[in-house]
Amino acid sequence: MGSLSFDIAPAPVRDDVAAALPRVWARIGEPGSWLTAEQRVAIAAEARNVAGCTLCDDRKAAVSPYAITGEHSHLGALLEAWVDVIHRVISDPGRLTERWFREVTDGGIEVGEYVELIGVVVSVVAVDTYCRGIGMAAPAIPAAAAGAPSPDTPDQLNTELAWVPTLDADVDGPLQAEFYAGAPAHIRRALTFVPATARSFWEMANTLYMTGAQMRDFGTEYRAISHAQIEMIAGRVSAINQCVY
Amino acid sequence: MGQSGDDSGIPNAAILIEFAEAAVGADTARLDAARTAVIDAMGGAALSDAAGVAALFNAIDRVADATGIPLEEEKAEMTEGMRDQLGINAFGAVPESAEA
Repeated sequence: MGSLSFDIAPAPVRDDVAAALPRVWARIGEPGSWLTAEQRVAIAAEARNVAGCTLCDDRKAAVSPYAITGEHSHLGALLEAWVDVIHRVISDPGRLTERWFREVTDGGIEVGEYVELIGVVVSVVAVDTYCRGIGMAAPAIPAAAAGAPSPDTPDQLNTELAWVPTLDADVDGPLQAEFYAGAPAHIRRALTFVPATARSFWEMANTLYMTGAQMRDFGTEYRAISHAQIEMIAGRVSAINQCVY
Repeated sequence: MGQSGDDSGIPNAAILIEFAEAAVGADTARLDAARTAVIDAMGGAALSDAAGVAALFNAIDRVADATGIPLEEEKAEMTEGMRDQLGINAFGAVPESAEA
């Protein structure tokens, strides 16, 4: 139950994608750094449940999503505050604000839980979008494995770059060598408060998109579409998502 | 560059833009047609890679927005014209005054 395989995919899937995405998918069902496997599986299921939520539709249509109150259509497995984060990140990410983030984390969600939750949500978004894009059914959510979370928070943090703390890029260390090699963009820092979440995300990103080095190597095409075509697709999707990054 | 991509000079721009929009939208029939158009014009490997880019940016946009990661200043300056043409400069966080 809940495994992802591209063995009978309706389109040719590159070997690195066919290897990476099933690993990322399987990790949803494993204990994380801050969250249990049960919580991670429930977050993934809730992420898929957002479509059709009336409150999300009303907020999306409103001038300010923060002016609309109500109850989400949800699966009932998670605290209301967690459900609200998942629904907002899925349905209206371009209008999240730092004030909202501070209220969320002041209200009882630990920053590590929040970062890991985001990692699970975007794994579902990426895998589901990819499968749908190539004409394949989305995989079932993995079953939850036994075990406890394994906390792993970096010692050296930057608390000024983003809303969430990030691994400090101005000191040397093994995590910096792992995540910040080359000329890292700010986005490479986004999930580093929970290294396992960042690691899993970039395993997925480096295959679905390109590695940083491949992105900057305009003399070589690494995909069946060109750098220009890749950036055009990326720009259009980001415009639809109203993402300023 | 217009939203269709037709005037971008990029090969198969309109087909890929249509696919990108359909891939992150909810209209299954539109996506089926867009997928067929990509395969017919560029082949299955191109479809798979185009789906990968759309999938990753559908996710990474949410990472950036949910963590408050700022765009690098030099990147903002370099891409200002393209971002304006794509309409991205019109976006931004909701003013704090609109949250209440």
